[in-house]
Amino acid sequence: MVRLEHVHKYFNKDTQREVHALDDVSLVIEDGEFTVITGTSGCGKTTLLNAIGALDSVDSGRITIDETEITKLDERERAALRLQDIGFVFQAYNLIPVLNVAENIGFIMKLQGYHHEAIEKRIREVAMILEMDHRLSAMPNELSGGQQQRVAVARAVAAKPKLLLADEPTANLDSKNSQRLMQMMKSLNEIEKTTILFASHDDYVMEMSRREIILSDGHVEKM
Amino acid sequence: MFSLALKNILFYKGRTLTTFLLSLCSTVLFVVYVAFMDGSHESMLKNSLSIYTGAIQVMHAGHYENPSYDTLLEDLPSVMQTLKEIEGIRASTPRLESFALLSSEEDSAGAMVTGIVPESEVLVSRLKEALVKGRYLDSEDSNRLYMGEELAKRLGVDLDDEVALVGSATDYSFAAERFQIIGLFKTGLFEFDASSAFVNKAYFDGLMLSEKMASSIVITVDDPEKAETVAEKISKELPEGTEVLTWKKLMASMVQAMEVDSLFGYISMGLFFIVVFFVIMIFGFINISGRIRELGLLRALGLRSSEILKLLLLEAAILAFASVLAGTVIGGYLAHFYELNPIIIKGMAETYKAYGIISDEVPTRFDLFTIAWNAMVVLLLNFLAIFYPVYYIRQFTPTEAMHHV
Repeated sequence: MVRLEHVHKYFNKDTQREVHALDDVSLVIEDGEFTVITGTSGCGKTTLLNAIGALDSVDSGRITIDETEITKLDERERAALRLQDIGFVFQAYNLIPVLNVAENIGFIMKLQGYHHEAIEKRIREVAMILEMDHRLSAMPNELSGGQQQRVAVARAVAAKPKLLLADEPTANLDSKNSQRLMQMMKSLNEIEKTTILFASHDDYVMEMSRREIILSDGHVEKM
Repeated sequence: MFSLALKNILFYKGRTLTTFLLSLCSTVLFVVYVAFMDGSHESMLKNSLSIYTGAIQVMHAGHYENPSYDTLLEDLPSVMQTLKEIEGIRASTPRLESFALLSSEEDSAGAMVTGIVPESEVLVSRLKEALVKGRYLDSEDSNRLYMGEELAKRLGVDLDDEVALVGSATDYSFAAERFQIIGLFKTGLFEFDASSAFVNKAYFDGLMLSEKMASSIVITVDDPEKAETVAEKISKELPEGTEVLTWKKLMASMVQAMEVDSLFGYISMGLFFIVVFFVIMIFGFINISGRIRELGLLRALGLRSSEILKLLLLEAAILAFASVLAGTVIGGYLAHFYELNPIIIKGMAETYKAYGIISDEVPTRFDLFTIAWNAMVVLLLNFLAIFYPVYYIRQFTPTEAMHHV
C-alpha cells in the first residue's frame, strides 16, 4: 500500500520563480490497483510519480510504501528501494542502448542477484505476455517505439516489484500501440497482481484504469 | 558491472577507438622518448668514460682537489694486487701525470704528459683506438711520445719529429729529455687532444723518479651505474689516506649537463602530458555528457551513484589497461629494436664531439623498470582524466539526468 500524507514539493523554493508543484497531497493506493493520475500539463503528475518512486525528495509530508517511510531514506537507501520494490516505465529513453531485449528485461533481476536460470525463465515469461519473445536478441535501436515501451514494461515487472510507476507510457505511441500496451499492462496487473500507477492524460489510459486521481495545480482535485 | 562496462566500450566504437589510440600513442611516444633520452645519455657517458676517465679512479687523499707530487699513490704493486681481488672490477691501470713544457723547433706548449702502462691502458680507455697516425705505445718504448693531434699542430710537429720535455721529477729535481713522436691521436675532445701526451710509464718512472708511484689508478666496471657499489668495496679494502672517486664526481659537469638535459626532456614531456590529459579529459567529458540520460536511467532503475562511478571507472580502466599495455609492448619493442640497431645520424659525432659524443649512432636504452614506470604514468593520467567527467555527472539527480538535453 502506498500512502501520501500532506506532501508538499516546491521547485526554485524561496525565489521569484518558486513553483508549488505538490500542494498538500494526501492519498492512498491499495495493493493491486490499476490507477491513473491525470490532469492538465504541469499539474504535478510527474512530480508526484517521482516522489512516490523515490526519484525526487519532497519538502514536507510523509510517503510510505507498505511500512517503509521513503521520505526519511537517504540517497543510498532510496536507490535500494527503487531497485528492490519499484518498477519504472518512462515516457521515452527507457532502454539501456548497449543491452539487447533479453538483457534489458533481465537487467534489474541481475542487479538484484537472481540466479541466471531464474532470470532466463522470467525473461521468457514476461516477454511472452508482452509479445516480445520473438525479439529477445534484438538491440533497442532495432525496435519500434511501441516495442521499446513493451520491453520497458517487461523489465519493470520482471523482478515483481511492489509498485509499477509509468509516466506517460503511451505519449510517444500511436493509438494502436497505446491500446496494445495498455491491454498488456492490464493483463499483467491481473495475472501478476502488480500495483500499477500511471501518470497520463491519454483518454484510453483513463478508460482502462480502475481508478482516476485528478491533480490540479499540485493538489488532488478528485480521488 | 564488468560485462556492462565491456558492452559500453564495444557499443561506443568511435569513442573507444579514439581514446584507445590517444592513450596508445601517448604510451608509445613516452616509452620511446625516454628510451632515446636515457640511451643517448648512457652512450655519452660510456663514451666519455671510455675515452680516458674510467668509471672509478683511486688516488691519494687530496690529490683530486690539489694535484701534486706530495699526494702520489705509493706502494703501487701492493695496491694493484688488492684491486685484482675485488669483485666487480673489469680492469685497472695506473697513470703518472706530470705537467711539463714541450718544445719543438718552432714552438713550445705546456702539456699534461702522462706515463701509462700501454697493455693495461687499452683495457680502460680508448687512447689506442683514437690513433690517427703512426702507432700506439708498447711496453718496450723508451723516449717515445704518443701525442694529441691538436697538440702536435700547436707545436708544429708531425710523426717522427722530436720534442724536448722539460719538467720536474717527483723529488722536484729538474727532469728533461728528448722524445720522438711515434703516434698521433684524436679523441674528439678538443681540449684533451690539444694538451695531452703519453709515454710508457716504465720509462717515464725512470725519468720522473716515480717507481712504484702513480697519480691515479683508473678502473672500469661492468656497469657504470653500479660504480658506487664497487667504489665502496674498494674503499674498504685500501688503506686509509686513499680516496676512491666515481665518474659522478670525476665528470661532475657532464653529470650536471645530463641532469639538465633530462630535466628539459621531462618538462617537454610534462607539457605533452598536460595536452594529452586535457584531450582525454575533454573527450571523456563530451562522451559522458552524451550519456547523461542513459546514466540517469541506470540510477532511476536502482544503481547507486557509487555504482555508476564504478561503472565509469571500470570502462576507463579497461580502455586504459588495454591501450597502455599495447603501447608498452610496441614502445618496448621499438626501444629494444633501436638499442640493437641504433639510428645513425651522419655528422653528429663531429658536431657534438665537445660533449663526448664519438659516434653517429643514437641508441635507445631498453630498461624494463623504466618502461614500467613510463606505462604507470600514462595509466595514472588516464585515471585522473576521468575524475572531472565523473564528478560532473554525479551532480545530477536521476530525474535531472533523465531530462537532460
